[in-house]
Amino acid sequence: MRWGMVVDVRKCVGCQTCTIACHEENALPPGIFWRHVVDVEVGEYPDVRRAFLPMGCQHCAEPPCVPVCPTGASQQRADGIVFVQYDMCIGCGYCAVACPYRARHMIHDQEWYFMAPTPSEKKAHDPERHGVMSKCTFCKHRVDKAPAGATPGVDPEYTPVCVSSCIANAMHFGDLDDPTSNVSRLREEHQPGVLLEELGLKPSLFYITE
Amino acid sequence: MTPTGTRKVPTYCYQCVAGPDLLNVVVEDGVAVKVEPNFGVTEHPAGGRPCVRAYGLVQKLYNPNRVKSPMKRTNPQKGREHDPGWVAITWDEALDLLADKLRTIRDAGFVDENGYPKLAVTFGAGGTAPAYLGGFPAFLSAWGAPLDQGIGSGQGMKCVHSEHLYGEFWHRAFTVAPDMPTTTYVLSFGNNGDVSGGVIGVWRHAEARGRGARWIQFEPHMSVTAATAARWVPIRPKTDAAVLYAILNGVLHEHAWRRVCDVAYLSRMTNAPYLVGPNGYYLRDAATRKPLVWDEKRAAAVAFDTPDVEAYALEGEFTVAGIEIGPDEQMIEHASTTARPSFQLLRDHVKPYTPEWAAKVSDVPAATIREVTREYLEHARVGATVEVEGVTLPLRPVAILLGKSVNNGWGGYECCWARTLLAALVGALEVPGGILGTTIRLNRPSSNRLESVRPGPDGFMAQPLNPTSKKDWQARPTSRSAHKTLVPLVSDGSWSGALSPAQLPWLFMGDPPPKWPEPTPPEVWIVGRSNPAISCWDSDLVMSKLKRFPFVAAFAYTQDETNWFSDLLLPDATDLESYQLFRVGATKYVESYWEHQGVALRQPVADSPFDTKDLTDVGTELSRRLGLLERYNEALNRGVALGVPLKTAQYDVSLDASTPHTSAEIWDRACRAATLALSKGREERDLAWFSEHGVYLVPFSRLNWYLHPEMLRKGLRYELPYQERLKRIGAELRARLHEQDIHWWDTQLDEYQALPPWKDFPEIWVDIARRHGKKPEDYPLWLLTSRSMQYSWGSQVSLPLMADVARHVRGHFGIMLNAKMAALHGIDEGDEIWVESPIGRQKGTAMLRAGVRPDVVVAIGQFAHWATPVAEDIQMPNLNALEPIDLSLIDATGSGSDLVRVKVYRTRHGDR
Repeated sequence: MRWGMVVDVRKCVGCQTCTIACHEENALPPGIFWRHVVDVEVGEYPDVRRAFLPMGCQHCAEPPCVPVCPTGASQQRADGIVFVQYDMCIGCGYCAVACPYRARHMIHDQEWYFMAPTPSEKKAHDPERHGVMSKCTFCKHRVDKAPAGATPGVDPEYTPVCVSSCIANAMHFGDLDDPTSNVSRLREEHQPGVLLEELGLKPSLFYITE
Repeated sequence: MTPTGTRKVPTYCYQCVAGPDLLNVVVEDGVAVKVEPNFGVTEHPAGGRPCVRAYGLVQKLYNPNRVKSPMKRTNPQKGREHDPGWVAITWDEALDLLADKLRTIRDAGFVDENGYPKLAVTFGAGGTAPAYLGGFPAFLSAWGAPLDQGIGSGQGMKCVHSEHLYGEFWHRAFTVAPDMPTTTYVLSFGNNGDVSGGVIGVWRHAEARGRGARWIQFEPHMSVTAATAARWVPIRPKTDAAVLYAILNGVLHEHAWRRVCDVAYLSRMTNAPYLVGPNGYYLRDAATRKPLVWDEKRAAAVAFDTPDVEAYALEGEFTVAGIEIGPDEQMIEHASTTARPSFQLLRDHVKPYTPEWAAKVSDVPAATIREVTREYLEHARVGATVEVEGVTLPLRPVAILLGKSVNNGWGGYECCWARTLLAALVGALEVPGGILGTTIRLNRPSSNRLESVRPGPDGFMAQPLNPTSKKDWQARPTSRSAHKTLVPLVSDGSWSGALSPAQLPWLFMGDPPPKWPEPTPPEVWIVGRSNPAISCWDSDLVMSKLKRFPFVAAFAYTQDETNWFSDLLLPDATDLESYQLFRVGATKYVESYWEHQGVALRQPVADSPFDTKDLTDVGTELSRRLGLLERYNEALNRGVALGVPLKTAQYDVSLDASTPHTSAEIWDRACRAATLALSKGREERDLAWFSEHGVYLVPFSRLNWYLHPEMLRKGLRYELPYQERLKRIGAELRARLHEQDIHWWDTQLDEYQALPPWKDFPEIWVDIARRHGKKPEDYPLWLLTSRSMQYSWGSQVSLPLMADVARHVRGHFGIMLNAKMAALHGIDEGDEIWVESPIGRQKGTAMLRAGVRPDVVVAIGQFAHWATPVAEDIQMPNLNALEPIDLSLIDATGSGSDLVRVKVYRTRHGDR
């Protein structure tokens, strides 16, 4: 089993609903976004293209952030999810340098949106993340909760929140190793590409562009 | 006791009219922590998902910058420079103070010496306010006397105003949508639906792209919707009508119109065959006064509703006898005259508007215009049918959409007319795949578009126009926006005051035009969910008038630029703190049309962190204090504010009118009544049920999306292409105003034309410099604005979370300029620049783009706050501060387009 995502860039409108849903789901502090949508413009007037590219950890099969970690905090699970074991992280930032997708985010100190934490911030924040590196976890806390009979990527409760919140139905999550999964079918149908393929990192995020 | 454990509370977000969007709030140990979609509502066309704004609701609830208790002003001096000197008071003190002011009005008379109501209310935000006012409208009903809703907060400038009025007139389309689940081809003129279309719009557009639908976006800058379109066509601002007219020209002159148009539809569903006499009015049968058509088989003129006409003449010129009925019942008799079908007049009318002509006007190549015309006609599939729930209907999967500033202000009429007409030409109006109306506001019942279709004059739908006859015209305005006096199309319903020239009170207060009763500052102004000092044009003018308002009570979320001028701040319970049951599904604003209909509950999800009050309770308390409780309760029993009567022949869950009731009690009755009504008496669900389940739905036939079957059933025609009725009421209104020696509305009266010609619309804005003593050539650029999904409506500006998220979207927080143009002005990315119009200047950060026309700069949203916490630190200019409220920019419907001529230049060290 290897979890992965297929993003249909043709459908994305760059609304950042996934950005804010992820931020809220993971109780992230101000300025830290494990995922966001890049608003790209290329060309010269009047021949211009503008596209929206949801970006986050690519959960590479060969993640460069894992071997560079001096403490072993940067880890990869058997199902492909790359994550940080916070109590082992010393916040050295090697992994952030190694990641070509800029998907790692250091949380130096807990910050609040106002002078003092709001009741919701106080309730939801995770003190374990202070002073350590953080990143997209593919919402493993949701995926791992799936009971027998439920399928992450099909049942929204057990699907990464960026996918289940998308208002353009542009993102899909599932098992890349299962030929019958939604993501496998989309890969078969659309032959989506990956970002920075030349680096050979074998990302788990695939992008349908045409 | 603090509740423990985690629960999900269903509620809705209606922070834009495309809602309500259903959602759950996750509450942990009594604290709201996050928002989630409500996946349980599988009937929702977008999977039960809300958009980015809904995720700000938790921060909106706990925002420490909120007004935390009622506050009273202590500084009698009002002005931007004068701190109000707020002091906290209790709710009892606050409501007593407001009730005392209102009692004074009741005791001394409801109307002032100029004829205007002494009580005025402004609830802004484009139709979202009703979803948050709770039972308060029942208090306004119990008030029982005129109140003024015509003091504008941006309506007309910020809405799609001409489309509202003409759309509802032509096809019960206060808002217009494509039948996106079926449409395959969209020509969009500035319709930024991937930002403004709500989650259902975004979802349906994305699905359409996935199945290969083609969307062409004409827009001066590359908006989000232009980015997702198959093609972006950078059009010169305010020239959309020229391109639409050239498409009309192409259909009617460059193609074989009999082959590409839906001739049967034109003949039987429109006024295309109606004969028009030499004075521009229908030629009518002298005895029955019915408009005549030419029956080709009989070779004779017959009444339009003659049942056995096989072939209507659409072209030609015929010699017939009959009468024309002009303004004020003026009858023009013709023993024998020449008459032509309105379709023939249309063809003649659009003949000069060739693609080459339009290219010069609009900067859109003639080849592009021809290409989209051809594609439009191909996709229209004239002759195709589709079965919908067992009924065979025409299938015309093409739609032309208009965006804000295209479909309002000068040129709005022409664009709306051309767009609706292009649909009618191929039979794509109100049929599967074509353009549809989704909501109505001027006709009744507002909850049922199809039921509102009633026979009117000359075979068309009835429309409740404000009278323009000598006998019934209202010469002396009774609202400060003069809706009954100046705007026949806007009717006289609960929305009409706000849908009129709502800029006029600001413009004329203290400076009325000749022969016009000066709009007075209202003795009491209640304002809520509205910030006209930011959202109206000409902020300085608005503030100069606000100073003169003697008593302002503001329902206040935070301090803002308008309630800075108020005397009383009333912190109403907001989205996650109060009750309201609201209609969901069926056909509603924008692209919100479902295969279900029902009601959803908004409810308190956690204890309010501050001393706020549910607006229903505010309404009850004010009614009690003023001795209006019985009338208030009776209004609630009639369904005012609740959306459903509490007592009908089928059920009775009415309130005891003699005693006050809590918000929960009132909404419990609404829950019961709504479910009884929806289930036809089979099911009754109370507040406790809704608190758990959130929404109650029943099926809504897809056939109800389309007006076509209803029009057929009732034997009615669309009043297109020829606008005889508008021509007549315009002439009558001109006569009435001139009888009063009023001439300052003459330019607006020119809009009432049966077949509107192109006018040089851009020049109207160029001329503004001259009107303000400046040189037009000094303002070579257009400043436009564009919707932000993150920031539209709902007080998001004070949420730092939203700023944090919005910075990922191009245009937040800077002024977008074409990169090459900027280089010519010596402006680099990130430079601090001035944007200056003839009335002022605003500072911002240059953001260089390729996707902006070189003659255009764009400032997203509405910012430039100076009192609203958090927002006051956002360095964004606001077009509104640079656009004058000027009579020359107001069209016949009372609306104005959101754009202004400017120059840009770098700031100098020390500039302020």
